Amino acid sequence: MNIKKVIRRTEAYLNSDERKRKEKKKYLKQVIRKLRQHEKALKMELENSQSPEQSKQLKKDILLAYSQRKKGINLLKGLKKKSKK
Amino acid sequence: MIRKLVLPSIFAVLAYGFWLSSDFKEIAAGVAIFLFGMLALEEGFKAFTGGLLEKLLKTTTNKLWKSLSFGVVSTTIMQSSSLVSVITISFLSAGLISLTAGVGIIFGANLGTTTGAWLVAGLGLKVKISTYAMPMLVFGVILIFQKSKELKGIGYVLAGLGFLFLGIHHMKEGFEAFKDTIDLTAYAVSGYGGVFLFTLIGLFATVVMQSSHATLVLIITALSAQQITYENALALAIGANIGTTITAILGSLSANVEGRRLAGAHLIFNAATGLVAIAFIYQLTSLVDFASSLLGIAEDNYTLKLAVFHTIFNTIGVLLMLPFISRMVVFLETTLKSELTPHASKPRYLNKAAFELPDTALAAVRQETLHLYDNAAKIIAGGLSLELKDIHSDCTMDEIILKSRKALAVDIDQQYQDTVKNLYGAIVDYISLAQGELSSEQTEELFRLRAAGRDIVEAIKDTKHLQKNLSSYISADNPYIQHEYDTIRIRLASVLRELHRVRSRGDDSAIILSLDRLKLDMEEYDQNLNNSLSSLIRKKLISAPMSVSLMNDSGYAYDVTRNLVQMGEVLFSNSELKLKEAERSLSLDEDEVSDVIEQQKTLKEERL
Repeated sequence: MNIKKVIRRTEAYLNSDERKRKEKKKYLKQVIRKLRQHEKALKMELENSQSPEQSKQLKKDILLAYSQRKKGINLLKGLKKKSKK
Repeated sequence: MIRKLVLPSIFAVLAYGFWLSSDFKEIAAGVAIFLFGMLALEEGFKAFTGGLLEKLLKTTTNKLWKSLSFGVVSTTIMQSSSLVSVITISFLSAGLISLTAGVGIIFGANLGTTTGAWLVAGLGLKVKISTYAMPMLVFGVILIFQKSKELKGIGYVLAGLGFLFLGIHHMKEGFEAFKDTIDLTAYAVSGYGGVFLFTLIGLFATVVMQSSHATLVLIITALSAQQITYENALALAIGANIGTTITAILGSLSANVEGRRLAGAHLIFNAATGLVAIAFIYQLTSLVDFASSLLGIAEDNYTLKLAVFHTIFNTIGVLLMLPFISRMVVFLETTLKSELTPHASKPRYLNKAAFELPDTALAAVRQETLHLYDNAAKIIAGGLSLELKDIHSDCTMDEIILKSRKALAVDIDQQYQDTVKNLYGAIVDYISLAQGELSSEQTEELFRLRAAGRDIVEAIKDTKHLQKNLSSYISADNPYIQHEYDTIRIRLASVLRELHRVRSRGDDSAIILSLDRLKLDMEEYDQNLNNSLSSLIRKKLISAPMSVSLMNDSGYAYDVTRNLVQMGEVLFSNSELKLKEAERSLSLDEDEVSDVIEQQKTLKEERL
């Protein structure tokens, strides 16, 4: 690693905004992962569901988890863009 | 009167001692520097507790052996059993751990504290410890001036260790020089009389310094300079072990009954172990000799033998008391009784002991706000003329509504005064006191918890507005209006049921975020109601005043849901603060909820 790269990385580390962004990204990814698992579990449940009422509820839950996950991915993209700048 | 005289007397005795001997001055300064080092170390460790603490505690104290190990490891790292016991009391007061887990930690702390003797006797006396102290102090102090909380914490830990080492160095130097002028061994007392006398001296010294670790270092340095006999040093160590409980007892004075029980367990353990050690002191000495020869410790290396003694007698204590932990817990619960039926409006977790750490203060506020919600949920259920236990049961909502056709005479105002108002006031008061040493994230969380309390109160007030019409229309002759109000009851009861379900499953971000479905359901209900309301009016199935009431009350029901969901998202998540923030950022706002409904409709149309 050349010296310029080391200086840039040290600067980035010492920059508290960047550190906060990194942390935010880490936790957002955690929640998104949980939501994806939840969505998968709900889809499995829907496949096995016999009751129309339960299926309706499950579809709603899946759509909700999907919307929350999509919101998270957009936030993550925004943070990544800011980091690049 | 006596209290007022204690401090000047100590000052006078010390000043006289300093005037008489410069070596005594060096020893006393060594102790002072050592104690200052411990304070810095405590400050440093507090910086690292943020957020992770609750999680760590949950996974490390769910079994007795884990609590024991937690006690051993944390005391070994922090080098202070007193600090660990005070922190454990604050954990317990904030409702983070059970009494059995707390007792396990205390027992472990007693084992962990023995590592201090080994470090000082094995390392501190052999190498020139002050050479390590100087760079630690310099680096430590530079780091203390940094803005970052973590770097500051590392700085305090480094400076703390530096001061500890420097203190040990001065004590050692002082005793070495002291040896040339006065021979303290001339005051040695042999036999059981000596054992009792020196146990008392050790106890007194620890009570004054509030640190058994400091006493032990003092004993070891004095022993290495041959200023006390080995036999008397053992008795001093026993005394120090009993004396250390005083810090826990002082810490428990501001705690709730759980905290006092834990301090009681600490006292029982240390006093019982001390008594056993005194009774079998000669047998123990032989055991120490035997163990030392096995470990290859020289016959005349009394400092290391003292470390062996300290470890053996604390291990014996743990082995003796471990089988009786559950009995001890029962004994403490029967002797130190909590209020038989604590009044619902009385705070259960808000106490000064929980102020010890920012995390425990936050946990205490969270637990108490949950208590507030429990009281509020009963009122809200009553306002809907339903029983909370029915809502939490497995029965279908239709069954519950069918069972509860009669309006319950619930005085929401009175119940609010009795079980909510004072409790909410106590929470707000506590929050204003707790703000002192919190980070910006912790302060924000505290404000969110306060807002959750406000949401609960708002939900009660909205329920009260709703109650008047609801009580009359659920038994009305008009089946249409009755049906509409039953729908409102089902909606709100489902909210309470879902909140109960999420709370019991908790801790998973996806589950917490699933509370957004309640907003979705409510929004859908609101849209459906608008359609059915027009139809009901058009067909003249309900009167104009009925429709106005229904519109207003569905608005109240909407607000109750919104407030309770908001509250649930803050209160039910037990994750660390940064994860909570990420969870909150993914929760859907009103516009996003409407978008989801639109998407749902589009999907339905496509299928058709």
